[in-house]
Amino acid sequence: MQRQSTLETLPVGKDGAREALDRVRTTLDTIILGKNARIALALACMLARGHLLIEDLPGLGKTMLAQALARVMGLSFRRIQFTSDLLPADIVGVSVFRQEKGEFEFQPGPVFAQLILADEVNRATPKAQSALLEAMEEYQVSVDGNTRLLPEPFFVVATQNPADQIGTFPLPESQLDRFLMRLELGYPNEENERELLTGEDRRVMLDDVDAVASPELLLSLQKTAASIHMSEPLIDYVQALVRQTRESPDIDIGLSPRGALALVAAAKAHAFVEHHAGVYPDDIQAVFASIAGHRLKPASNTTYRSAAELCQHVLDSVAIP
Amino acid sequence: MPKARGTDGSLLTSLPWTLAALVFSLVPHVQFLPLWITAAFVICGAWRYLIERRRRALPSPYLRVLLALGCFLGVFATYATISGVGPGSALLAIMAALKLLETRKRRDQFVLLFIAIFLVMSTLLREQYLWSLPYLVVAVLLIMTAWLRVSAAAGETAGHSFRTGGRLILYAAPLAIAMWIFFPRLANPFWAVPMDTGTAKSGISDSMSPGDISSLSMSNAVAFRVNFAGRIPEPRDRYWRGLVLTLFNGRTWSGNDPFEGPRVHEQVFGNGESVSYQITLEPTRQQWVFALDMPWSWTLPRTFMGPQQQLARSRPIDRRVSYEVTSYLDYRTDVALTDYARSWYERIPPESNKRTQALAKQMRAAASSDAAYIEAVLRMFHEQEYFYTLQPPPLGSSPVDRFMFDTRRGFCEHYASAFAVMMRAAGIPARIVLGYQGGEMNPMGGHMIVRQSDAHAWNEVWLDSVGWYRVDPTSAVAPGRIESGVSESMFDGVASTWGFSATSALLHRLSLTWDAMNAKWNEWVLGYGPENQSRFMKWLGMDNPDWRNMLLTLTAIIVGLILLISVILTLRYRPPAKDRAAILYARFVKRTGMEPLTGETPAIFAARAEAESQLPAEMIRAVTSTYLDARYGPCDLASLHRLELAVAAMHRQ
Repeated sequence: MQRQSTLETLPVGKDGAREALDRVRTTLDTIILGKNARIALALACMLARGHLLIEDLPGLGKTMLAQALARVMGLSFRRIQFTSDLLPADIVGVSVFRQEKGEFEFQPGPVFAQLILADEVNRATPKAQSALLEAMEEYQVSVDGNTRLLPEPFFVVATQNPADQIGTFPLPESQLDRFLMRLELGYPNEENERELLTGEDRRVMLDDVDAVASPELLLSLQKTAASIHMSEPLIDYVQALVRQTRESPDIDIGLSPRGALALVAAAKAHAFVEHHAGVYPDDIQAVFASIAGHRLKPASNTTYRSAAELCQHVLDSVAIP
Repeated sequence: MPKARGTDGSLLTSLPWTLAALVFSLVPHVQFLPLWITAAFVICGAWRYLIERRRRALPSPYLRVLLALGCFLGVFATYATISGVGPGSALLAIMAALKLLETRKRRDQFVLLFIAIFLVMSTLLREQYLWSLPYLVVAVLLIMTAWLRVSAAAGETAGHSFRTGGRLILYAAPLAIAMWIFFPRLANPFWAVPMDTGTAKSGISDSMSPGDISSLSMSNAVAFRVNFAGRIPEPRDRYWRGLVLTLFNGRTWSGNDPFEGPRVHEQVFGNGESVSYQITLEPTRQQWVFALDMPWSWTLPRTFMGPQQQLARSRPIDRRVSYEVTSYLDYRTDVALTDYARSWYERIPPESNKRTQALAKQMRAAASSDAAYIEAVLRMFHEQEYFYTLQPPPLGSSPVDRFMFDTRRGFCEHYASAFAVMMRAAGIPARIVLGYQGGEMNPMGGHMIVRQSDAHAWNEVWLDSVGWYRVDPTSAVAPGRIESGVSESMFDGVASTWGFSATSALLHRLSLTWDAMNAKWNEWVLGYGPENQSRFMKWLGMDNPDWRNMLLTLTAIIVGLILLISVILTLRYRPPAKDRAAILYARFVKRTGMEPLTGETPAIFAARAEAESQLPAEMIRAVTSTYLDARYGPCDLASLHRLELAVAAMHRQ
């Protein structure tokens, strides 16, 4: 069940918010080992009001990350397991006729939560996928002609298994664009894996974690993150990167203006998470692969094997002003 | 909840500056303040500094309240009042000292610096001199520097604050000058500075006992300056008449109420050519108005001639005044002496100075007439063993007897006093005139300087055929004193005391130049009143310079100047403060001897440089982090300055 945050009265002052964010980060770091950079990216995604797509093999902690995020942020959490027979109504909810009252009553679906984990989103049919994706875009759902607002903040973490090919419906580029970031978690290193094996059960640990932030705090953090200073030279840098994706012979379709906006928003949020005085070139580089990776369409004759390599190539060929 | 009283040394960077500003603002007050206030000030300053230095706690509120109460009562006990410049500045100084003891934060230091500004400005309430200007500039600069130190970013040097302070003052200077020129001067100001009754008077006092003038003779201070319209009188005619002493108690001469008797034109008859001149009199805090013997007309308001032909203003002269006088060097005072007045002028205490009285009677009997007797007395001073010296031996309870028969050494006041006693003992009405004799022309300024060292006392005797007649017994003893002025003799005295050669002409020249500058400053700057302003406005082309026009002009000028400064600042503001950061960073990159790769962020480059270059790692980190801040952080000059410091540190290495 939804767990009420015990910290709704947490101070939302600037310093209080700042401290809460640091606490969120350290708590996440203790649960998910050796993934500091990824956690910073996931937090930045959240602070930039974006949805997150985690693409990786099963068993690498995708679900754990989403649950941990919801728990420490004090957000209400729902998980939707996407299957090939999932219907849109299973996501948004249905109107049920109540005989005793003689009227229809809306039964809200799992989408009415603050953090949704859409597990294995590529297993569902495009129809079910689009129901979720519309909710992500509009922050509202329409059922039987009634428009219902989703809770605020609203944050979707979708996971996708790239290895499965049979019986899946990979998200098309246009819909991938709805996700601000795409992350790959990757294997933990030896040391972290050993700690994982010998240490406490992560699920038990997660149950013990208290919320260290609140939805209100998250909203205020989002506002602060958007106001981080970005200097002229770095705007130039973003433009140069975007131009490079459009002009590079290795890339068929480069970043759209929306992609560029996403890059700026994510870089600001990342700078905020990293305590930087303004956006640094490092922030842009840190978020670049996760922002651009799923938005670029590599050329068919490119020698780069993955989107990550391609993004690194773009970064390596643009000078920092 | 009681406030925390502990200190953590965080004020150590700014506190010395605040203390220095406070001390500097107190300096001109020290000579006027009672010693205990200065002592309390110094003690509180040192105490506060030690507290900060040793991270001790500030004194408790009870102690502070007690101290404040004690000091207030102390000021009240010293002055018997708390209004006026003296008690006011004393209170201000003591409050600043006590405020130090509760200074915990930046805000408190701002209050202290405000007090410092008040202290500096209150020195102007006393008197303004030429040196007041450089003092003010330095004091304000120091206070501004302290101010900027208080709010300085970490790593900002004192020199930086100092330069910023100087720049701010330079921006403000044109505004201040415009205000000074155009702010309407009113003939009758709405406010006045209350005069301190307890302030020391300067110059000649209104009584004379042995030793008074000798202290003046050593003072090189200017008594007044004179600009002659035409002919300049000979040195022997330069008797600047001040007050007249008529009462003698055997030791001390004093005057009586000057505000009685007929007006000047009924008292004085001038012969021959008159002399016109302008006197700029330094404040004396007394009523006496000096003029060349004998004044005929003058322009100083509320100034009258008393029955003994001395000029006095109804209000003491508490600031520098300037007035024009016409005098007759050759004059007659043709007022009949009443029997009552005659008895007044012949009175001496019969039991005092008996030997002198006996000598006078004996000499008068030997002389054929009053005039012959006067001749004889002067001849006695001239021919017998009487000496003119500025360091006479002390005299006892019958000073005239002792001077006449024992010591025989003295200067004008001894001779004037002895002469007056000799005359009165012989039945001739006599009195003493105090004033100045001499004056030195300043070739630089074209004016005459009369100094306190020119202070002089001479006599007037009543001769029935002539009226009051000036006799200077000092000239019989030391004709040089009268013919050439005291300055040479005085100069010898000073020179021998201080070990200068007698012909330190250069020194003299320098002092004359300084005096000429002072005279011009007094005339043009300090004397810039309603008349000068009106004249200046007309010269500027303003037809009808009333206060409305002046205020309008002033407003226009201020708006114009502010616009001008804004335009200059806008033009000088270069957003590429960032580029400056890039230039500095390029120096650092060059220094590492490495080339950043395309797309390599400064942080990654720093990590590589730490591994590959010879520069110390902490230096690389310092430059990199400050560079990121300065170039990519919010536009902030302080971070750029920190980068400058980091790169400079690297270059020193």
